[in-house]
Amino acid sequence: MAIIETHDVTKIYNQEQVPVHALNGVTLNIEEGEFTSIVGPSGSGKTTLLNMIGGLDEPTSGKVVVNGIDLFAMKENDLINFRLQHIGFVFQAYNLIPVLTAKENVSFILQMQGKKASEYEARSMGLLKAVGLEDKVDKRPSELSGGQQQRVAVARALASKPDFVLADEPTANLDSVSSGNLLDMMLHLNEDENITFIFSTHDQRVVDRARRVITLVDGKVDKDEKR
Amino acid sequence: MWSIIKLSWKNIWRNPMRSGVVITAVILGTWAGIFMSAFMNGLSQQYIRDHLQNYTSHIQIHDVRYVEDKLPEFYIQDADFLVNQLKMQPFVEEIALRSVVNGLASSATNNFGVTIQGIHPEQEQQVSSLHEYMQDGEYLDPSIPNPVVIGAPLAKRLSIETGSRMVLNFQDVDGNITAGAFRVSGILKSANSGFDESNVFVLAEDLNDILGRENTTHEIVMLVNDFKQAGSYTSQLEDTLQSEELAIQSWGDVAPTLRYMDANMDFTLYIIMTIIIIALMFGIINTMLMAVMERTQEIGMLMAIGINKKRTFAMIFWETLFLTMVGVPLGMGLSHLSITISSSIGIDLTMFAEGMSEYGLSSVIYPELEALYYLNIALLMVGATLLSSLYPAWKALQLNPVQAIRKI
Repeated sequence: MAIIETHDVTKIYNQEQVPVHALNGVTLNIEEGEFTSIVGPSGSGKTTLLNMIGGLDEPTSGKVVVNGIDLFAMKENDLINFRLQHIGFVFQAYNLIPVLTAKENVSFILQMQGKKASEYEARSMGLLKAVGLEDKVDKRPSELSGGQQQRVAVARALASKPDFVLADEPTANLDSVSSGNLLDMMLHLNEDENITFIFSTHDQRVVDRARRVITLVDGKVDKDEKR
Repeated sequence: MWSIIKLSWKNIWRNPMRSGVVITAVILGTWAGIFMSAFMNGLSQQYIRDHLQNYTSHIQIHDVRYVEDKLPEFYIQDADFLVNQLKMQPFVEEIALRSVVNGLASSATNNFGVTIQGIHPEQEQQVSSLHEYMQDGEYLDPSIPNPVVIGAPLAKRLSIETGSRMVLNFQDVDGNITAGAFRVSGILKSANSGFDESNVFVLAEDLNDILGRENTTHEIVMLVNDFKQAGSYTSQLEDTLQSEELAIQSWGDVAPTLRYMDANMDFTLYIIMTIIIIALMFGIINTMLMAVMERTQEIGMLMAIGINKKRTFAMIFWETLFLTMVGVPLGMGLSHLSITISSSIGIDLTMFAEGMSEYGLSSVIYPELEALYYLNIALLMVGATLLSSLYPAWKALQLNPVQAIRKI
């Protein structure tokens, strides 16, 4: 069953001066439990597509449907709340809150969802254990390595039990060992807990381990291969 | 909301130096504003109290014609009966009778226009403190004939001293020009040099002898239990006495500038504090704008993962409030301490005594401030905080999460 559908999505930036076609009629479906990599050269529209699937950037035309809901037909506040409840984000630069510990970073999103202390304490501890950071729960981001910070970011993305996780170049700032460990961990979560992951990446190591690779060229789907 | 508040508290300590500078500015601003207000309020209240105690009293009664035209023949009819009625009023604490005429004070070398006040010393000492300001000699020494007390500036103008003779010329109750020779019993120097220069004090019986009528009373002054209520007590007296021949005036009617000063002091204090708060607001807005701008990426991330605008605004508001509310109580504590100390020992401005005396001001100031003022300052600061947070919060809400996250 497709949890994400894009219907002829286009995105044109700078429409009134020199138009730039970032996406040019992208139609695709992503099924639950997929481990999908979106690849392509710089400027091919990978991040734009990811932002649209995440409800962060509105298409110029076309529709993005998640679990049967047209994202951009929603009111702004409803869309923000939808992101909070249904979508997990992992960013290239980790983007953790520097004044909070690893555990607080993970539990923050659960607190925003209105979860009780006992619930968010247990879940954030469980997630940090799942990403191998049970001994770093009280460390602030500045006390963690890049790989460890990205693991915390993954734990945060999973905290709200999202329908899927969007990761924009998650290994771009990591060394090869940390990248490998992070991929192992995400594959493990995908296989064991059926969590859907969608990446944009330039990293061939990520591409090699993806089960589906969508290649964008000039804002269009050039190839879509399942392995 | 609790997690947003906790995050805001942690956020303000990201840059302890910057937050410390703002908090210190708030402490000093609050202290400066409150202490200056207390100083001005003390100065004003002291001026009003001094003026009431030494010159005006709380309520004055005259013949209604005397208020229009201060002629000796417009004396109060049956003053003794009136005094008995006044004594029956529960709010009246002290009463003094005066015969008052305008005249000319002359010495061998000079003369000057003065108001001649014929007083009963034992009564006068209950309503006025002027006897405490004697610079030289005695206060209406009964052992010398026709004693007169004059102010130091008048003594200088007339080139006379204690023991000197002077002549007072004025009209008697029949409108004839008359004069009397008096001997300077003492010289006083109060906080109001203008008053000292233009008033002389003699015994009422001596003045009345020359006026040509025993027990002449032009003015009855009284102190009441609460000078702030003098206006309503005046109305009560008018109802009780039911006399169209009497003009009953509160201190506010006699000295409208004092009433204006009293009524507008609160307003003035709040203007001072508002100016200081506005200056502080610019500092706070600047700090919060810097805090927002250097966290563009992080705020964008929060918006992306689903933190709505209300919570983003709340985060900025709480950060602003914490910056202010750490400083305000400390500033208030410092103000309270400095006001408590200075109100007991006084702030000595003797070096400016001469200039202050020209304006009728005492040279030692005792700052004072009502407790309610502190509460109102706290409320003003909360309001200012809310206003200060609006622009930085608005800037934060304008961030586009996609662009903000990409920004390095």
